Parts: sequence; structure tokens; C-alpha cells
Amino acid sequence: QQQVIHGNVSDQEGDLPGVSVKIKNTSKGTITDGKGDYAIKAANGKTLVFSFVGYNSQEIAVNQSTINVTLTHNANKLGEVVVVALGLSRNKSELPYSAQTLTGAEVNSNRNTNLLGELSGKIAGAQIKQANDIGGSTNIVLRGPKSLSGSNQPLFVVDGVPIDNSSELELGGMSNVTQNQRNGKGGYDYGSPGADINPDDVASVTVLKGAASTALYGSRAANGAIIITTKKGNKGLNVVLNTGVLFGSVDKSTFAQYQKEYGAGYGPYYDPNTPGSHFDYTDILGDGTKQLVVPTYDDASYGQKFDPNLLVYDWRSLDPTSPYYHKQTPWVAAKNDPSTFFNHPYTLNNSLFIDGGTDKGNYKIGYTRSDDYGILPNSSIGKNLFNFGGSYRLTDKLTVQASVNYTQTAGKGRGGTGFGGQNGEPMNILQNFREFWQVNVDVQDLKDAYFRTNSNDNWNVKSPTDLSSAYWDNPYFVQYQNYETDERDRYFGNVSLDYKLFNWLDIVGRASEDYYNEFQEQRINVGSVVTPSSYYRLNRTYKENNYDLLLNFNKAITSDISFKGVLGLNARRQNINSISASTNGGLVIPGLFALSNSVNPIDYPIEEVDQKVVTGVFGGVTFGYKDFLFLDGTLRRDQSTTLPDKNNTYYYPSVAGSFVFSSLLKDYTWLSNGKVKLNYAEVGNDAPSHSINEVYDKAANFGSEPLYYVSTVRNNADLKPERTKSFETGLEASFLKNRIGFDFTYYKNNTINQILPVSVSTATGYDGLYVNSGNVQNKGVEVTVTGNPLKTDDFSWNINVNFAKNTNKVLSLYNGVNNYQLAAYKGGVTTNATVGEPYGTLRGTDFIYKNGQKEVDATGHYLFTSNSNNDIGNTNPDWTGGVYNAFRYKNFTLSFLVDFSHGGSIYDVDMVFGLWTGLYPETAGLNDLGNPKRNPLSQGGGVILPGVYANGAPNTTRIDASQNQSAYGYQTAPNKAFVYDASYIKLREAAFTYSVPASFVQKIGAVKAIDVSLNGRNLWIIHKNIPYADPEDGLGAGSAYQGVQLGSYPNVRRYGFNLKFTF
Amino acid sequence: CVKKDEYLNNDTKSATAVPASTLFSYAEKQLSDVLATSAYNVNIFRLTAQQWTETTAISESDYDLKLRNVPDGFWNAIYVNVLRNLYEADKLTQADATLSAAQKSNQLAQINILEVYAYAVLVNTFGNIPYTQAVDYTNTTPKYDDASQIYDSLLSRLDDALSKLNTTAPGFNTADLLFNGVNEISSWKKFGNTVKLKVGITLADVEPAKSKLAVEAAAPNALQSNADNVSFNYLTTTPNTNPLWVDQVQGHLIDYVAGATLVDLLNSLNDPRRPAYYTAIDTNANPQSSDVLVYKGGAIGKVNTYNKFSTFSNTIAQPNLPSLLADYSEVEFDLAEAIERGFNVGGTAQQHYINAITASITYWGGSATDISTYLANPKVAYATATGSYKLKIGTQKYISLYNRGYEAWTEIRRLGLVLPLPPNQTSYLNRFTYPITEQNVNQANYSQAAAAIGGDNIATKLFWDKN
Repeated sequence: QQQVIHGNVSDQEGDLPGVSVKIKNTSKGTITDGKGDYAIKAANGKTLVFSFVGYNSQEIAVNQSTINVTLTHNANKLGEVVVVALGLSRNKSELPYSAQTLTGAEVNSNRNTNLLGELSGKIAGAQIKQANDIGGSTNIVLRGPKSLSGSNQPLFVVDGVPIDNSSELELGGMSNVTQNQRNGKGGYDYGSPGADINPDDVASVTVLKGAASTALYGSRAANGAIIITTKKGNKGLNVVLNTGVLFGSVDKSTFAQYQKEYGAGYGPYYDPNTPGSHFDYTDILGDGTKQLVVPTYDDASYGQKFDPNLLVYDWRSLDPTSPYYHKQTPWVAAKNDPSTFFNHPYTLNNSLFIDGGTDKGNYKIGYTRSDDYGILPNSSIGKNLFNFGGSYRLTDKLTVQASVNYTQTAGKGRGGTGFGGQNGEPMNILQNFREFWQVNVDVQDLKDAYFRTNSNDNWNVKSPTDLSSAYWDNPYFVQYQNYETDERDRYFGNVSLDYKLFNWLDIVGRASEDYYNEFQEQRINVGSVVTPSSYYRLNRTYKENNYDLLLNFNKAITSDISFKGVLGLNARRQNINSISASTNGGLVIPGLFALSNSVNPIDYPIEEVDQKVVTGVFGGVTFGYKDFLFLDGTLRRDQSTTLPDKNNTYYYPSVAGSFVFSSLLKDYTWLSNGKVKLNYAEVGNDAPSHSINEVYDKAANFGSEPLYYVSTVRNNADLKPERTKSFETGLEASFLKNRIGFDFTYYKNNTINQILPVSVSTATGYDGLYVNSGNVQNKGVEVTVTGNPLKTDDFSWNINVNFAKNTNKVLSLYNGVNNYQLAAYKGGVTTNATVGEPYGTLRGTDFIYKNGQKEVDATGHYLFTSNSNNDIGNTNPDWTGGVYNAFRYKNFTLSFLVDFSHGGSIYDVDMVFGLWTGLYPETAGLNDLGNPKRNPLSQGGGVILPGVYANGAPNTTRIDASQNQSAYGYQTAPNKAFVYDASYIKLREAAFTYSVPASFVQKIGAVKAIDVSLNGRNLWIIHKNIPYADPEDGLGAGSAYQGVQLGSYPNVRRYGFNLKFTF
Repeated sequence: CVKKDEYLNNDTKSATAVPASTLFSYAEKQLSDVLATSAYNVNIFRLTAQQWTETTAISESDYDLKLRNVPDGFWNAIYVNVLRNLYEADKLTQADATLSAAQKSNQLAQINILEVYAYAVLVNTFGNIPYTQAVDYTNTTPKYDDASQIYDSLLSRLDDALSKLNTTAPGFNTADLLFNGVNEISSWKKFGNTVKLKVGITLADVEPAKSKLAVEAAAPNALQSNADNVSFNYLTTTPNTNPLWVDQVQGHLIDYVAGATLVDLLNSLNDPRRPAYYTAIDTNANPQSSDVLVYKGGAIGKVNTYNKFSTFSNTIAQPNLPSLLADYSEVEFDLAEAIERGFNVGGTAQQHYINAITASITYWGGSATDISTYLANPKVAYATATGSYKLKIGTQKYISLYNRGYEAWTEIRRLGLVLPLPPNQTSYLNRFTYPITEQNVNQANYSQAAAAIGGDNIATKLFWDKN
């Protein structure tokens, strides 16, 4: 007979709210309230199943009226209950679409300050790349790039609040900054605002990859969604203190290595009177004789062979403040190459979380302070993160809940990306080191020179009589005088009321806000190579409000048929407001960075206002038949202000079903769980702000005459909403009491009518047109295998393998257009979306092939195509995956993650020029005859390029390799020669944790538990094919920035330890 | 359930309606900028004319147009920045009901003359280009028109525009940044006729009859003296300074030195314009105050050390250096040539030649003595200078077009001057290759155009280039 069963669910740390309590083999259930209590009607003999994200579920037979349960963490196994769209929770075993959940512990084992980067390698089918620079942005693409215009970021939702993670570059569509950085020009990477989420506050992260799972979110989740649930307060008073430190070191395999045989210069022609001369002969001492002077103005290393017995005057001897002033020094390779410029980065990360609760409510309050010090000198990012959350049961029916998160970020000295020096940013130091350098220059001398005078005492000066910079500054000057600073103050939070009108109907009202205020400053001090000196500032506020009203139904129709439903309204208001200005014509007073310090009156500030309102109405139903058949349906209608009136309303439906066949096969006890899922969904998307109406842009007045020009991107008053059609099916099963399981998914997405500014022939008078364009298809498979091969009281081994293969194809583009150029780089290389090809093909010049061999001309040089539209690579990987292992022995846990990516191409501009300037070891050393390559041909030097003549015979013609442009780098080979394979295998993470035995802890007194962990991240690149660089580094966030490297940052190995005290 | 908030999507910080004159001013400045700049990703004609050459990054001097996507930069600047805004100004002017018929007609004529100027620059740079289908966003893949047909159209548009200029009414007035409202329409008549003269003479080798007609009609109405020179007068403060100053002086570049081709020529003629063109340097390894400073240019297409060669003079290194769009000197050179070609433009070839050189030396600050001495030099004097009329006129015109790289490059090709080739090249740069973007986004039309002109490479000669 039925009875009411009461109880409390907790874990080692206290009460657990939100735990699913279900009667096994039925659809009936409830969840625990704010203090972990529950009540449920069940008959004796039935079994209650308690499950919660990140915990082992427990089954307890009903034989008493009070059942208290303590759940144990299972950090290595997927949770059984997942939080899905709109904060609804679903039992994973019945979910009709893919959702992958990670616990807070899994994404924060390193206590890295950026949560998003920590997801890398852990989610099947997610490509996650974090730029290597300090605070660099994180680019996340789920199931392949769907949008042609660049941003393929999923929606981020924290406790139901959508959080902006667009990197600054993507706001405002095709802004100049975007286009510049996309095309490899300079700019800073200010990181992704998603980094404002406190990793210490995360209870779980659920990744929803398909449209069926995200359809209720409407337009914005077309690229999937990342649902983050923060921690909740527990009963009593709980205090957790974490203190951690991470150290770092540059992975040398991802930074330039230098030849150490030849010094400064481009070739043997400096003194017109001395054939073969690599030096200037100039009277710098004023004594009437000529001295041997290093060509300081040239930024290459095709110069004189090093010889410690040869004494020369180098840049130090020109600097009156230098101890070497007017002194000769031996001609040798630098003892300290540019790799010694990098600091050892470190991170301090301390947090205190307090939570507690009573019968009526619970709260949590947390504070985290993190300080990151980057590899570039004078670079740091400091963050204060405050988190508060609480809920209170006002009456039995009414619960109020609120959370506020406040994050302060202060950055300084972030590194530039791409080809700097063009838009008020300094030259990119990494480009300097990788492409244009003299290997005789000792970085520690530069350090001494800078700190001696705090000025730009530099290696690359124009002449002995003009000590201003030729092409590059002293890198210390760049970092200490031309640094950027930025601040971001952000709060996001929500208030919600939950009223239980009936026990089958909940009404939830929720208001949320995500707000941030950014202030960015860029400086170029007087004395830099970039002129004029300048100061630029940008103030921006971003605000998004969401108002939701949800009606949640949960009522069984018959004892066999369960019904859950949701009806909702959502109103979203977004407002972005910015103003920026810069000095004009230089700074009057050096070092004073203020607009008022402008040589000429400043130009108009640039103001931008983007406003957007989207209103949505939606509903969803879930039917369950017994415990094996589930059917979901959703429908949402959105209306957006960014679309033309006539097309501003759009609908998206989804339908999804799952068949839990294991429920019918209970006799087969080896089968723990088995499910087939199938779903189809369509989601829409609106346009970027201001893409409908034509406007004119303002240029600076000419004297008193005002100047306007037609905006270079043509807007379109006939835009229609975008649409993504998504189909997914899969099979999940686990065996032997869940000791082993797999999840297989096949999906196919088509994104059609994409709204994007297509690049067109500029003979139209426009750079781009906003159109509805194309059909991009992504299809692929994702496989996750979990295993628990060994499990004893003392020892366990968990393994999790994920694998994904995505095939991307552009099926059609805008009317009559068969190729869309995404970006253009130096040397005529472009990335493209071409009909019939994957998104992101690289085009450029190619070799001419003879029988598959590279053809050379009669002089032994490579032939290459004159046209630049040859397919020379594809920036998409063929497949990706990760293997996670965790071993526990008593109180010790060791875990590590290896992830890998196979295929894909990178156009490496650093090699194009680094070889051209003779920096890399390839350009020196011995040739096939055993002679120095750089010797003149007459002395047995030179190299034979691998290839064949027009008649197919192997090339035997030795060519000169003694100077710039002779045998290596730019102009000696087509673009194709600098396209590398982006595959890698990385030891991404390792962690070793020791929980101090309770018996010992108790002696200390107040402390309940102490965990000590040693951890590391990006520890080892086990395999890669691109030389001197990290295959994951790109130009910044956004898919169009992938597949090209220019001034790329080295990988930083991170390792550290963390102490966690639980009181 | 929420009321329509369409106004939210309005860009409240940008103009939705502007006077046509603001677009015209902008287009004038952009046209001047693209011709005046020395930015090596847009305008490299000082290098191809060998007035200058590069120091270490010698790609452009070596005709490598791909490294910095130069054709893309030049093409975009004219189609997007200049022509797009002229078309828009044309549209707005036509729709403007507040203008008097005469002023409207003047403004439309001004717009048309500038459009013709811009198109002629594009044709002379690339050959066949999009013209009839150009500057129209509804056709994203415009076809390329035959260059000689474009020339025909340009000439008839010029005739039409010239017939519509009415000196009793104003045009764009002070928004016309070329003449600032001073003698505006009569100045535009001279400017328009000069453009017609230039377009006309360019056809001389390929369509002599058309050329004769145009040249004879335009000659009497073209610029009459240096006072008529058409220049864009830059200001002393950024961002309205001469782009050359921005790149080279404000930017402190050491990428360019004087080109040996022009410097050697000037030296051989003891040209009085040398101090206005270049800096003089001390080539003594141990400099003494008694050393004689000399003009020395770097080798074309080879690496040159910045400190060892002359560079551009202080005269052109000025923020407010005016940039010439047409000058009296080139008119006189054209007339000298016209006489030699048997066109009826009055005067003798020698007199026009003398007028042209006199105007140029005067413009560059030379004295009367400089002029008479120079003209007396047998290598200069028309009667005694060596070579054909094309070579004689071409050489002096080449000298006079210093700092007008595009014009100099065009005259080199048109008059058949032979310049030294960079070491890695077998042909002079007879044209720009088409933008790489066109290969990617307008491929079918691109391929057709490439085939029509005889191959998209730098050696292909333009239709008027019969040398």
C-alpha cells in the first residue's frame, strides 16, 4: 500500500538540494528541496532511485517511512541527471538528445582561471581553442562551424542567465577591428567575457550540442549551448578554502629555434667597395678610420658567419649609455636568444566559499582572487570574483531565489596579435622574434639597455647617427611603455520566484541581468617605431536583460503515461553602447596618455549604440510511456527587432524521442541501461544590429568641409531569419552495473539562409553585402566510451574516451556566388567558403607538379602557379578526441587527459618570413656535400631543392643559399610550401590528489578534510607536425581566425599545487 | 505581446541622409589620396617608374604584387572609396529638387569628369575592368568590359559633361576641394578638357583618328599655365595631410631610396630639379666637410642600404604638399607630341616642349637661369636631343612627372621608354595583375577578362600600348 516517505539526501559536505528521487521503473518522482528534504508517495516493495549530477545514484527499497541517503561523488562518471534548456532537469537515461555533463571537479581540477579552456578534450565533438597569450580568448565550436561569418560560439547560460561570450571582435559584425585581425593585421586579444565565470563556483557544466536540445532557447543557441550550474548552499555551515599556485614555462618546441652560425644582415653587399661584405665600414669613432659596423637597421640573419676572433661594433657600441659604447665585441651568436625574453608565468588563486542553510533556505557566498602573470614581461591579469546565491522558502508553496555574481578584471600588457603597428597598437613582439631578428642580438643586453634608461635603446636602429628604431623596438620598451590596460566590471545574476500552485503546476518568474562595463586603453609612447605616438581609449557597456515566465506542468495522465510540460514567455533586451577616441598626430608630452595630450585636435570620437529586443513564446511537452518510451516536442516563436518588419517573426519546432530498451530487457542483468534517441529540430536566428538600413559614415572634416561616405558594407532591407535544421540519432548503452558504457551519436545539421556580409567583387563599390546566404552542412559522429575496468575498495580505474568526426561542406552560397572569401593574408593566401568544399579552405599559389613531384626550372628553382586560387589546404580537422584516465588508490587519485586532433591545415606566415630572413636552423648547416649551405656555390655551398625537371628527371642543380630570397622562405616557393598539418597529440592535463586521512585531519580540530593536489596542464605535446609552433594557436577567437599563424604565441606548460581545506 | 520596437534597430549614431556635396568632397580626397600615397599595399608606382626603389623588402620593386596584395588595395580604393561615393553623389544630386537646373547640371558634370578620371586610371592600370556593370550591388559578379570600348564611353561622357558646364552658376562651390569655389566652373572646364586631352592622346597609337578628334577639340581649352594646375591641397594637420608625408615622414620609414634610373638620368643632364626631388649625400667613407654632396640612386629590384643613397627631398616631405591631378607641363608635352603626330593643335613641337620643361622647372622652384641653362644643354634641346620624338618628349615628361608615380608609369609605357628590368624579371611591369579577390569571388568574369586581354600577367600590354 501507498505511504508517504520522507527523508533527507546529503553528501559528505551536507544537504543536497535538487536530487532526483524517483520510483524505479515508473515516471513518478520528485526532487529534494533547498535543504535536501523530500517527500514521495510509494508503495512498500518499490525501489527509490536517488540521482544527481556528479554523484553515484543509489537505489533503496521502500520498507520504512523515513529514508535518508548519503550520495557519494563520482567525479569520473557522468551524472545521471542533467540540467537541460531553461534550467529544467532531466534524467539522463531518458534524454532524447545528446548532452554531456562534467562536474565542477572535472572542469576545475587545475584551478585554472579560465573555465572555458578547461573543457578542452573532454567533450566529444567540441573544438575548444584558447589563445596562448595571457587571458587569450577561447573559441568553442560544437559540431563544426555552421556560420560562415565567423562566430560559431555556443550560448553560455549560468543558472538560467545567458552570458555574453562574444569576444569584442565579433560585436558589430564586420567592424574594422574584426576585419583587420581576421586578415592577420594587428590588434589585442582582450579575451572572452566567458572568463568572468568563477570556476570555483561551478557545480556542473552540461554541453548541449544539437538543436533539439537547445530549441527552447531560441535564436541564440543555434550553435549549441553550454549550461553552467553553480553550487548551492547546504545545511549547516560549510567553509571551503582553496589556495593554489600554478607555475608555467614555455614549451620550447612551440617557439622559434635559431641557427647560431650567421649574424645580422640580408646578404653580402653592405660595403660597396668590399665585395661580399656583410658589414658597413663606417667611421663611428670619429677617428678618421673606418670600423666594421653591424648593419643594425636590417632585421635578418643572412650575415657574416660568426667568428669569436672577429671584433665588430654592434648596436651596443652605438648606444652612449652602454658599457660597450664605442667598443668592439666578438662576432658571436647571442647567448640569450628571444626565448629568454619570456617570464616564467605564474598564477595565484585563492578562494573562500561559505555556504549554509536551514529548513527554510540556503545561501552561499564566495570570493576568489586570482592573479595571472604572463610570459610577456609586465603582463598580468587580476580578478576578483564574488558570488552570492541563496534561496528561501517563504511558504510551503513559494520559494524565492536570487544570485549575484560580480567580477572585476584588470588586465595589463596583453600581447598583440597578427601584424602589428598599423592601428594604434605596437609592433607584435612575437612576430619580431619569429620573423625578423638578428641572432647575434642578446635579449639580456636589451633588457639591460631598457632598464638603464627606461627608453627605447634598441638593437634595430637606423644608422650609427640615427638611433631611432628602423622596424622594431626594444621588446622591453614595447612591454613597459606601449602596454595596454583594460578593466571590466561585470555583474550578472537573477531573481526568481517559484510558486507551486498545485503539486502538478509550478509557476516560475525570473528576471536576470548581465551587465559589464569595459574600459580599454592603448598606448604608443613617443620614441616608438610606430608613429605618431598615440593614445586610444574605448568605453563600452554591455547590458542584457531577460524576463522569463515559465509554467511547469508535471502530471501523470495514467499510471503508465507521464506528462511534463512547460509554457513560457521570454523578453530579452540587449543594449551595447560604446565610445572610443584617440589622439591625433602624436603625443605632446611623452608618457602622458590622455586625449588632451594630442598634437592636433582629436578626431570625432566613435559612438556606437546597438539595441535589440527579442520576444519569445514557447512551449514544450514530454510524454513518457511506462519507463521506456519518451517523446518530447517544443515550439518557439521569436520576434526580433533586428529583422525587417515583414520577416521579423519566426518559429522553430523540435521533436525528439527516446526508447529506453533496457527497461524491457530487465532479465538481461548485464545490460544496465540502453537507449535509442532520435530527434529533429529547426532553430532560427536574427540579424546583427544595424544590418537593414543604409547609413553613411563620417570621415574627418576637411578644414571646414564635412565629409561623408557610403558605408562599405551594403545593408539589406529584405533579410529573412536564418535557419538551422538539425537531425540527430544515437544509441547509448551501459553494461555490467554501469562498469562500461558507450554513447554513439550521428548528426546532420544544415544551416540555411545565413545572414552574413558576403564578400563580393569590390567592383560593386562594396566590400560586402548583407544577404541571406547559403546552406552549410555539418554531419558527423560522436562516440563516448566510459569504463570502470577495476574497482575494489582500495583501488579503482576509470577511463573515458571520446571521439568525434565532423564533415563540413558548403552546399550553396548567395545567389550565383560560388565562393565566399573569409579572409586574406599576406602573400595572396585567402580562406574561403567554396560551394562543394568544406568551410575554411585555404587558397593560394601551388607548386607545379610533374608526375606528382614538385617541378623545378632549369636553374633548379621551384616553379609555381601564377594564379592564387588553388586549393592548398583545409582548416578543419578530420577528427578529434580525448582519453581521460583516473586511478584511485586509497586516498590517492591520479588522473590525466590526452587529447588529439588529426588533420587540418595551418598557413604559417612565421615560416614564410622566418626562413626568408635566415632565422631558422633549416637555412644554415651543411648541405649534401658536407659543406656549409651558405657558402658560395663556387666554394661547394648551395642546396638542391627536392623536385624534378620538366622532363621528370630529378633535380640536380645546386642553387645559392647564401642570402635572403635565395633558397628559403617567401618568393622561393609557393604559398603551399608554408601550409602545415595541424594534427597533434597532447598530454593536456594531469592531476594527483591526496586526501589527508580523516583520522589525521581530526587531530587538527576544526578542519573536516584536507585535499592536496598537484596538477598540470598543457604538459607535453606528444606529437605535432608544425615546426616551432603550437598547432592550436590561431589569430584569435572566431572560426575565420583559425588556420593561420602570424606572430603566434608559444604553448605554456602549467603545473602547480592546490590545497583545499574543508571546515 | 510586446509592441513593435523597430526603431531600436536604427543606427542612431549614423546619418541616413547627407548632402551630395559631402560625398563628392570625400571622393575627391580619396582619389587624390590613392594617387599621392606611397603606402606599398596601395600605390607602388614611384617604384615601377623607378623614381624610387626599395631598401630591403624589395618585393614591389621586383614586381611582386602578391606579398602585400597591391592590386587589391589599388582597385578597392578606386571602386569603393572613389567611384562608389561619386555614384551616390550623382544619385542624390539628381534627386535634389532644391538645386537650380544650372547648378545641378554643373554638379553632375563635375561628378562625371571625376568618374572618367578614376575609370581611366583603372583601365590604364589593369586593362579590361568592370564598367557597365560596375558599382551596382545588385550584381555581385560584374562582367569586365573591353578597355577600348570603355575609352570610347569615357570620351563621350567627357563631351557630355563639358557641354553641361555653365560658368554663370556654381557647382559644388567650397565643397569642391580642388578649386574651393574659386573660378569654379571655368576651372572645371579646363580640367575636363585636360582629362579629355590625356584620354585622347593615350589612344594615339591605336586609334589615331579618334585621338586626333579628341586632342584637337580639347587642346585649346586645357590648362593654360601653372596657375591652372589642378591639385588637391592638403592641410598641415592630420588626418588631412598629404599621405606621402604620413607614410614617409610621420612614419619615419627607411624602406625607400632614390631609384638609380631617374637619378642617373638627372645627373647626366645636370638637371636643376635634383635638389627639389632628392636629398644629396656624402659618399665619402670618411666624410669631410669639404666633400661634394652627390645624388645617388639605389639599384632597381636589388637590396639597397638606406644610408648610402639619396632619398626624397624635403620639398616633397611636407604635410601640406599639394598633390597634382593635372598640370600645365603635361598638357604642353601632350601638345608637342600631338604636333609630331600631325594633329592640328597650333604651335611647334619644339615650342610646346620648351613650354613644358619651363613649366615643370618653374613648378619645382627653378630659376629662369636654371631653365635657360638646361634648355641649352644639347642633350635636352629638342633639336639636338637624341632619339625619336617619343623618346625625347618621353624622357623629359618622365623627369617632369616626379612624385606622380602613376602618371610617370603610364607615360613610360605609352611612349615606349625602356627602363632597366629588376634582376628576376623578363618583362617590364606593363600592367597590374587583377586582384586576388577577383579570382576568388568573381572567377568566371575574371577568367574571361584574363583570356580577353591575353593573360593575367604583368607582361601583357594594354590595348593602347603598341611600343
